Amino acid sequence: MTTADIFLWFAAGLIPLSAMAYLFARKKATTLEEIHGSLHSRPGFYGWYAVVRLASPALIVGFICSMFSMFNLIDIPGSMILGTAFGLGGISLWFALKHIRHDFRARQPVEKAMATLLMLAALISILTTLGIVFSVLFESIRFFNIVSFWDFITGTSWNPDTAFLIGAGRDFGGAKPEFGSVPIFAGTFMITGIAMLVAVPIGLFAAIYMSEYASHTARNRLKPLLEILAGIPTVVYGFFAAITISPLVVQAAAAVGLHADYTNALTPGIIMGIMIIPFISSLSDDVIRAVPQDLRDGSLALGTTHSETIRHIVLPSALPGIVAAFLLGASRAIGETMIVVMAAGLRPNLTANPLEGMTTVTVKIVEALTGDQEFDSAFTLAAFALGLVLLTITLILNIASTIIIRKFRQRYE
Amino acid sequence: MNSITTQQKRLRSRHRSDRRFKYYGMIAIAFALAFLTFFFVDIISKALPAFQQAYVQVSVNYSPSIVKNYNTAIDKNDRKLVSKTFLRTLPRKLKAHPELLNTTQIEWALANHRVDQYLKGHDGHGLKRKDQKYVDELFKEKKIELNFNKGFFTNGDSKLAESAGILAAAIGSIFLLLITMAVAVPIGVMTAIYLEEFAPDNRFTQAIEVNINNLAAIPSILYGLLGLAIFINVMGVPRSSALAGGLTLSLMTLPIIIIATRAALRSIPDNIRDAAYALGASNLQTVWHHVLPLAFPGILTGSIIGLAQAMGETAPLLIVGMMAYIPEAPTGILDATTVLPAQIYTWSSESMRAFEERTAAGIVVLLTVLLLLNAFAVWLRNRSQKTW
Amino acid sequence: MKKQIMAITALAAVSFFAHTAAQAAETIQIVGSSTVYPFSSYTAQALGETTKFKTPVVESTGSGGGMKLFCAGAGLDTPDFTNASRRMKVSEFEKCQANGVKDITEMVVGYDGIAIAQSKETASINLSRKDLMLAVAAEVPSKDGTHLVANPYHYWNEINASLPHREIRVYGPPTSSGTRDAFEDMILKHLTKKMDVYTKLYKADEKKNKAYKKYHKIRQDGVFVPSGENDNLIVQKLARDTAALGIFGYSYLEENSDSIAPANIDGVIPTPATIANHSYPLSRSLYFYIKKSHIGKVPGMMEYANLFMSEKMVGDGGECTDIGLIALPKAEREHYRAALKNLTNMTADDFKAKH
Repeated sequence: MTTADIFLWFAAGLIPLSAMAYLFARKKATTLEEIHGSLHSRPGFYGWYAVVRLASPALIVGFICSMFSMFNLIDIPGSMILGTAFGLGGISLWFALKHIRHDFRARQPVEKAMATLLMLAALISILTTLGIVFSVLFESIRFFNIVSFWDFITGTSWNPDTAFLIGAGRDFGGAKPEFGSVPIFAGTFMITGIAMLVAVPIGLFAAIYMSEYASHTARNRLKPLLEILAGIPTVVYGFFAAITISPLVVQAAAAVGLHADYTNALTPGIIMGIMIIPFISSLSDDVIRAVPQDLRDGSLALGTTHSETIRHIVLPSALPGIVAAFLLGASRAIGETMIVVMAAGLRPNLTANPLEGMTTVTVKIVEALTGDQEFDSAFTLAAFALGLVLLTITLILNIASTIIIRKFRQRYE
Repeated sequence: MNSITTQQKRLRSRHRSDRRFKYYGMIAIAFALAFLTFFFVDIISKALPAFQQAYVQVSVNYSPSIVKNYNTAIDKNDRKLVSKTFLRTLPRKLKAHPELLNTTQIEWALANHRVDQYLKGHDGHGLKRKDQKYVDELFKEKKIELNFNKGFFTNGDSKLAESAGILAAAIGSIFLLLITMAVAVPIGVMTAIYLEEFAPDNRFTQAIEVNINNLAAIPSILYGLLGLAIFINVMGVPRSSALAGGLTLSLMTLPIIIIATRAALRSIPDNIRDAAYALGASNLQTVWHHVLPLAFPGILTGSIIGLAQAMGETAPLLIVGMMAYIPEAPTGILDATTVLPAQIYTWSSESMRAFEERTAAGIVVLLTVLLLLNAFAVWLRNRSQKTW
Repeated sequence: MKKQIMAITALAAVSFFAHTAAQAAETIQIVGSSTVYPFSSYTAQALGETTKFKTPVVESTGSGGGMKLFCAGAGLDTPDFTNASRRMKVSEFEKCQANGVKDITEMVVGYDGIAIAQSKETASINLSRKDLMLAVAAEVPSKDGTHLVANPYHYWNEINASLPHREIRVYGPPTSSGTRDAFEDMILKHLTKKMDVYTKLYKADEKKNKAYKKYHKIRQDGVFVPSGENDNLIVQKLARDTAALGIFGYSYLEENSDSIAPANIDGVIPTPATIANHSYPLSRSLYFYIKKSHIGKVPGMMEYANLFMSEKMVGDGGECTDIGLIALPKAEREHYRAALKNLTNMTADDFKAKH
C-alpha cells in the first residue's frame, strides 16, 4: 500500500461512514423528539455531534501516523493505520450515540468543534509563512557555511562556475567560486527602477484622472480595462517582451546610434512597469478618494483651480497612501519571475547602462533549480540564499507600506 | 488696468495648467489602453496562422509491410511532406480496419511543419528547393490545403510542431484548478470566518492578520521553493503531479481568497447578526444560516479572481517540475501534469519556428479563458452589489 | 436541495479518489540532460503513438539533477531512466549502489555536436580552437607569451591577423547548462592544460593557483553573453545581430539552417559525417541509464529502450538524426544493442576503462 492508497482509503472510508453516523444520530434524535417533545438542540446538531465524535479520533490518528511516516520515524503498515483510525472512531461513535438523550446538549460540543476547526484553518496561513521561511532558511544556512554572509552581500563578482563543476564532480582544480550577489541585486533594482519609472507616473496620473475628473460611468468602464493589465499572466508578458519588445528596443537604440543587447534591462523593465500600473493606480485611487471632500471644498472655495487643489491639497494629504502603493508595486516588481526569465539576461552585470543585459535574483533562482547541475552544489544552495534575501526585502517593503497606510487611515478617521 | 491684465494673464495660465494637468491623466490612461491594444493585436496576429494547418492529399498503400515499417505506405516524394504522426497511426488503422489490407486509398494527411511553414510564407524553413517546387505544384493542383487546425484543440503536446496541441495542458489546468478550489476555497473561507466572526481580538489574531497581508505580497517563486521543500521532499508527493502543483497554487491563492471573503463578510451589516441573535441563534447558526448566504456572491467573486490568478501562474510550477514533456492528459491527481502557462513556456523555448505561432495561439486560448473568468466575476459583483 | 447537492459533491469526491486509485498503472518516468531531452521526448512520443503503452513523461532536469533523482532509491516513484550528456561518475555510481539502485545498464545513443554559428548573412569565418579560446577566456597570454593578462581582445583580427575586423561577441550557454560544460572542456581546458603560461602558475603554487592547472574561466566583461536555456531566442538574436557568434547544440543549427550558418572549426564544418568520424573537434557522447529493477514493474520500459536504440530512431538517417542527433558508427550501435539485449550491468570496473 502506498501512501496515496492509504490516504484514498482513509477518505473513501471516512466520508460515507460520517454520512451514516450523521443520518443515524439524527434519526435517533428525531425519534427522541417524538417521544419527549422538543430536545435541547435541533436534531441536526445530534447528527453533527456523532460525526465529530467519529471523525476527530480517526483524523488525529491519521495525522499522527502520517507525521511519523513523513519523517521516517516508524514504518507502520497501512492497513494497521486504517484499522486503528476507524476502530477508535467507531468506539468513540458508539459512546457518542449512547450520549444522545432528550436532555443532552449537542449544540455546545458541535459549536466548539466547529470553532476549533476554523481556528485550525487560520493556523494554516501561519504554517505557510513558517514553511516558506524554513524552506529557504535551512538551505541558506548550509550555503552560508560555505560562503560567508559578508562576501555574499558585498561581493561584486558572481562566478559560481566552479561550484557547479565541483557539484558535477568535475573539480579538476578550479578557482574558488565567487558568490558576490551585488551585481545580481544591481540588476534586480535596475529593472525594478525602470519599472517604477514607467508605472509611477502613468499609474498615478491615471488614478488622479479616474478619481478626480472622470465621470462615474467612465470610471466604471476604465477601471476593469486597466485591471486587464494586471490579469495577463506573466509568462505571456515574458513571451511578448522577448519576441516583440526586445527587438524594438534594439532597433530604437540602433537608430540613435547606441548598441543594445537583446537581453537588455530596459525591455523587462518597461513591461514590468506596465504590468504594475493597475496596482499603483487602483491603490492610489483608493487613497485619493479617501481624502475628505471638506479639504477639496475648502481649497476650491479659496479660488484655486481644480488642478491646484489636487496638487497642493489632495496629493499631499494622500501622499503616505501613495507612497505605500509605490512600495507595494516595487515589491511586486522585485519578486516578478517569468518576465525576467524570458526577457532579461543571465549575466550578472554591474553597470548603469540599461541597454546592457542584466540579471535578477529570480532569474538566478530559476536557473539554479532547473538547470544542469547537481542538487547539493553551492550553486543550488545559493538559490535559497537569494530566496531568503528576496523574502526579507519584500517583507520589509510590505510591512513598511502597511504601517504607512495604517497611519494614513488614522489621520482621517 | 495694467494689474488686471496681468491677473487675467495669470488666471489664463493657471487655467491652461489646469487643462494640462487633466490631459496628463488622459494621456496616462490612453497610453495604458494603447499598450493593451498593441499587445492584443500583436499576440493575435502572431497566433492566427496557428489556427490553420497544412494537409496534403496522398495515396496510402496499405500493404502488409507497413505494420513493420510504416514509411513504406507512402511514396518517397510525398513522405517528405507528410507528418510522422500520420504515418505512425497507419499500422493501428490497418489493424482496426482489416478490410483495407492491400488496398490503396487516397487520403488527406497532416503535412509536416516544414511544408506548413513554407505555405504560411516563412521561406523554406528546412524545406529543400526541390521539395518547395513540388509543394507549389501540389498547392496549385489543390492537393495541399490549409485547413482549420483541429488538432490544436484535440492533441496533447508533441515534439512535432504540426501535431502539438493544448488539450492535455488544458485538462491539466482544470485539474489544478479543481485541486486549488477544493483546498484553498474552504480553508480560505474558514480562515476569514474565524477572523471576522469568531476570533477574540488578541495578539494571536493580530499576528494572523499581519501574516495574511504579508503572504499576499510574497513573490510566487518562493511558493515554488516551499512546494519543492515541503510537498515533494518531505511529504513525498510525486514530482510534476497535479497534486504537487495544485497544493502549491492553493497556498499561493489562499491570502487572496481570505482577503476577499473578509471584505464580503464585513460588508454584511450588523443588523442581520443582531436580528439572528435576538431570535436565540448561536454564533455558528448566525454565520451559517444568515451571514454566509448573504456574503456568498462576494466570496464567489473573490474566489474566482484568485483562481484565475492561480491559473495563469507559471514560476512556482517550474520549480515543482512541470516544465517537462507530458503529452497525455492526467487521469488522476498523482499523474504527471502540465498546465497551459507551463506549456506556453516550454513551447517558447522550442527551436522549431512553427512553435512560435503555437505559443501565441496557446496564449490566446489562455487569455480568453482568463478574461472570461474575470468578466464573469465582475458581472457577478455588479449583479449582486447591494446597498444596505 | 442543498443536502442533495452536498451528497452529490461527496459522492463525486469519493469516486474521484477511487478513480485515482484505480489509475495507479505506472507511466515511465525519464529525467536528465537537456541535451538528450529532445531525442528522448521524441522517442517517448513515438512509443506512445505506435504502441499501447502510455507516453513516457520526460523531464529536463539536467544531467546532475537527473542522476540525483535516479539514484535516490529503487522505489517505483523514482525515475526509470536518466539521460546524461556526460558519463555517470564514480561518485554517482556509488551513491546509486548505496541507495539500493544496484543494477544499471548504460547506453550510448549517439553524439551531439556543439556548433559555433552566426547569421547566414555574414561572411563565413574560419576559426581555430585557439582563436576561440583567446576570444572567450578571462585571462590570456600577453603578446610576448610570458605572463597572463586580462583579455584585451575586442576584434577578431586582434587575435589572428588573418581573421576579419569584426567585433567579438559570443552568445553562449549559461553555467547551469551541459553545453557550457562541454564547451569549456573541449575549447578551454583542452588547450590551457597544455600551455605553459597557464600551467607554470599552477606548478609555482599548486594550492593557490589551482585554477591554472586546467584554466577554464570565461570572461565576464560583456563579450561573452550567457543567453539562457531558451535557444530559440539565441537563434533569433543571431539572425539580427549579424556580428555575433552563438554556441549551442548541433540540433538547433539543423533546425534553423535558413537563418544561421556554422563557422568552420579547425577547417572543418560540423556535419553528421564529420562529427561521427571525430574530425569535427566539438562533439560528445550522449548517454542514458536504465534502472533494471523497474523492468517488468513499469510497462513499456524495454520497448522504450529498444525503440530508442533501434535503427529507425538512431541509425543512419533515423528519425532522431533528423532532429539533430548524430548516429554512432554501426559497430558501436550493435555493441550497445547487444548490451541492451543482455541488460549488461554497470560495474565499478567500467569506470577504470577510458571510455
